[in-house]
Amino acid sequence: MSVTVDPTLLRTLQRYGAFDVAACFNCGNCTAVCPLTGADATFPRRIIRYAQVGMKDELLSSKELWTCYYCGECSETCPRQAEPGEFMAAARRYAIASYDRTRLARTMYLQPFLGALIAVMLAAVFALFMYAGHGPQDSTSLALFQFIPSELIHNVGLAVMILVFLAGLAGVATMAGRIGRSEGVGWRTVFGGRTALRRSGRALWIALGIESLGQRRYRVDCETVQQPVAWYRRRWLLHAMTMWGFLGLLGATIADYGLELVGIKATGTPVPIWYPVRLLGTVAGAMLIYGTTMLMVDRLRKANRAVRHSIAADWTLLALLWIAGVTGFVLELALYLPQAPAWGYWIFLFHVAVAMELVLLAPFMKFAHAIYRPVALFFYALTPGGGGQRSD
Amino acid sequence: MEADVLVVGSGIAGLQAALDLADRGYSVLVVEQEASTGGKMIALSKVFPTMDCSSCITTPRMSAVAHHDNITTWTYTDVDSIAPEGGAFSAHLTRKVRYVDEGLCIGCRLCEYACPVEVPHEFEGNMGARRAAYIPFGTAIPQKALIDIDACIYCGKCEKACPTDAIVWDQEPQAVTVAARAVVLATGFETTPLDAKKEYRGGQAANVISGLDMERLLAPNGPYGRVLRPSDGKIPDSVAYVQCAGSRDETLGVPYCSRVCCMYAIKQSMLLSGSLPLADITVYYMDIRAFGKGYEQFYQTARSMGINFVKAKVARIDEEANGDLRIRVEMIEEEGKLAEPIHDLVVLSVGLRPGDDPRRFVGVDLDQYGFVASPEPKLDATLTNLPGVVAAGTALGPKDIVDSIAEASAAATRVAVYLGPPAMAPHPPDDGLGVEVRDINAGDAVAVARPEVQRA
Repeated sequence: MSVTVDPTLLRTLQRYGAFDVAACFNCGNCTAVCPLTGADATFPRRIIRYAQVGMKDELLSSKELWTCYYCGECSETCPRQAEPGEFMAAARRYAIASYDRTRLARTMYLQPFLGALIAVMLAAVFALFMYAGHGPQDSTSLALFQFIPSELIHNVGLAVMILVFLAGLAGVATMAGRIGRSEGVGWRTVFGGRTALRRSGRALWIALGIESLGQRRYRVDCETVQQPVAWYRRRWLLHAMTMWGFLGLLGATIADYGLELVGIKATGTPVPIWYPVRLLGTVAGAMLIYGTTMLMVDRLRKANRAVRHSIAADWTLLALLWIAGVTGFVLELALYLPQAPAWGYWIFLFHVAVAMELVLLAPFMKFAHAIYRPVALFFYALTPGGGGQRSD
Repeated sequence: MEADVLVVGSGIAGLQAALDLADRGYSVLVVEQEASTGGKMIALSKVFPTMDCSSCITTPRMSAVAHHDNITTWTYTDVDSIAPEGGAFSAHLTRKVRYVDEGLCIGCRLCEYACPVEVPHEFEGNMGARRAAYIPFGTAIPQKALIDIDACIYCGKCEKACPTDAIVWDQEPQAVTVAARAVVLATGFETTPLDAKKEYRGGQAANVISGLDMERLLAPNGPYGRVLRPSDGKIPDSVAYVQCAGSRDETLGVPYCSRVCCMYAIKQSMLLSGSLPLADITVYYMDIRAFGKGYEQFYQTARSMGINFVKAKVARIDEEANGDLRIRVEMIEEEGKLAEPIHDLVVLSVGLRPGDDPRRFVGVDLDQYGFVASPEPKLDATLTNLPGVVAAGTALGPKDIVDSIAEASAAATRVAVYLGPPAMAPHPPDDGLGVEVRDINAGDAVAVARPEVQRA
C-alpha cells in the first residue's frame, strides 16, 4: 500500500515539545526499556520512526501514543539523550491538536499567550454572562444561588456539556476511525453479533474501569522502574487523586442537579456535611486539591524525568483544576462563617466561571487525554496480544 | 638521575616509544605505576585480526625494554609532577613500597608459596586468587615480588621462606627527582566501570562480566584454565555480547565510539566457538564498526562461523534465580518486536576512558573527555601544547593495538626531531629476541645497526 509522507512532520512535532529526535539513532533502547512494551505494543521507537520519516497518518493512527504514561525511563536511559518520553508527550499534544477540527487546540498549544488570553477571556465571558442575571447578595447567610440563580447555572452548564459532548464526540470519532482503520477494527468487529458485543463490553470495562479509573498499568508497571518515593508522592496516586477528585466533583454537581429535577432537594438548600452529595463533593474537592497541588510542586521542582520539561498547556490544566478545587473549598468553609462575607459571592462567581471553562475547553487542551486515552485503551483491550492487522 | 626521555606508562605504546628512542641512542627512563610493565595488552588472550597470542608478542617487547642498555625501567613508581625547567623537565617521582628489596629478590616465588593469605586477583578480573606476597602475574617483568600490605597479616612466613632475605618491612616510599629533556605520555586507558549502567546489573549479577574478564577466561593461563561462568562454574551454553555497554552513551558521559569493542567481541566470539564448540554465541550490536585493515573480513569470518549477530541495543538485563540472565531488546530487523532471550553468561563490551589524568602532574591540554588533546589533531596527532611533551596510544583517545604502536613510533620520531642527534651512538635494532641479539653483536653495535625505517 502507498504511504503519504509529510516532510514537515518532524518540524511540526518539535513545536509541541522539548525533544531532539534528530539525535535518535534508532537503537531501540527506549522500546526495550519501557515497562509497558510487550507483544501488543512496541513504542516509543516505532512512533519516533514515523516522525523521522514523515508518516503522519501512521503516527496519528497509533494507539501506542496513548499507552505511554511517561514514566521517563526511556529518557533516563536514552544513549543519545533524545528525550523519547518527551517526544511521546509532544506527539500526544500533536494528536490532540490534529483530532480537533476547530483548530482551537492547535492555537492553545502552539500560541501559549493567545491561548492564555482565550482562557482568561472565556472565563470573563462566563462570569459576565452569569453576573448579568445576578440577584441580591444576602449578608446574613451565604445564599449563593440567590446571587446567581441556579437555573442560570444549570442552563449554561447544560449548554456547555452539550457543546463539549459534540466536540469530544467529533474528536473521538476521528481518532477511533483512524485507529480502527489501521488496526482492522470496524463496526462489525465491535457490534456485529453477540460474541463481538460481549468482547466489546469487556474491552470497555478494561479501558474505562480497570485502566482509566483503576490506573492498573500506570500503578503497577510504570512505577516499578522509578526511583522510590513515599506512597503519597507516587505519580499515579497524584494523578488518580486529581482524576477521582474531578470526577467526584462533577458527579456531585450533576447529582445535586438531579436531586432538584426529581424534587428531593432544591439546589442551594443548606444540608449538613454528611449529606451524601455534599460529602462526595467535599471529599472529592480535597482529593483534587491535594493531587493538583502536589503535581504542581513536582513540576516546579522538576522532581522526576517526566516533569523535567513543562509547557504552558501542562500548567494551564493544573492551574484551572487547582483554582476550581480551591475556590470550591473556600466556599465550603465560608458557609460556616457567622456573617456572610461579600467576597464569598465573588469567589462563587469565579468558581462557576472557571468550572464552566474547564469543561468547555476540555477537548481543546491537555484535558483531552481523558477522552482519547480510554479510546486507545479500548482498542488494546479489544485485540489482546496485538491481533490487529497493522498496515505497515 | 638524568635521562634524555621520560616515558610515562609501559603499556604497548610506552614500550614501543621507549624502544624506538633507545635504539636511536637516547637514554630513556620508563616509569610505570604498576608492579610490572605490559599495561593492558599483556592481560589479553589473543589479538585481532591476526589472532596472535598476546603474551607471545607483548612479552618480548617487555623483555627488550627491561634489558636495553639505554633504558632504565622503574615499576611501581608514581609520577607526582613534571615541571618545565630551563628547556628541560624536572620530574618528581615516588617509588612506592614493595616491602621487597628489588636488588635481592630473585623471583623464586617462595614467599608467594609460603604466604597463607588469599585475595581476589586483580590481574584475573578478580576471578582467581593471589597471595598477599606475590609476583603480579606469570610473565610479569620484572619478576620481583611485592607484598600487599593491606591484606598482609604479618605472620612472617614469607620472610622465613625468602632465600635472599629480600623482605624489608621498614621500607619507605622514596621521592626521586629526575631531569629529562623530553616526555612521552603513554598513560593508556581504563575501561568504563562494569556497574556504570545500572540496568545491566554489572557488578551485581555474577555472570555479567566485562570484555577484559573474558580475555582472562580465554587466556591459556587464565583463572580457571577454561571458560566457566563465575557464579557456579557452569560451562556456558549460551553467551551474549552486549555492544556499546560503555560507549556511544550520553548517560555515561561517553558519547564517542571506543573503536575496539566490536573487534574484540568478534575476536572473543571466534575464540569462544573454539573453546565452547556447542555454545550459542550472540552479539547484540547497534552497528558493527570493522574499519581497520582486514577487519571486515574478520567480521565476515565470524558470521560464517555461525556466530549470531543481532541488531539490537540491550536495554535491560535481569538476573534469574539460577544465575541466568534475561535480556530485553527491541529486534530492529524483525519489525521492532520485543524479545527477552535468556543467556548463561553476558559479556559487556565496556568502552575506553582515559587511564589517568595527566594534568595531575603535567600541564597538558585535554579534550572534553579527558584524553590528551593535540593542537594539530590531523597533521601531528602526538603533539601536546607543551614543547617537548608528546603523547601516544590510548592516552590520546580510544584506539586499537595496531594504531597505538604506530602512534608510539610516530611520537618517538617527534621526540627525536625535538631533541636533535643523540649523545650516544644508535643501538642495534631489537628484533624481539631481547638481549641476546645485542650480546652476540657486542662490540660492533654501530656496524650492524640498520636504518629505523626497516623496522616499521
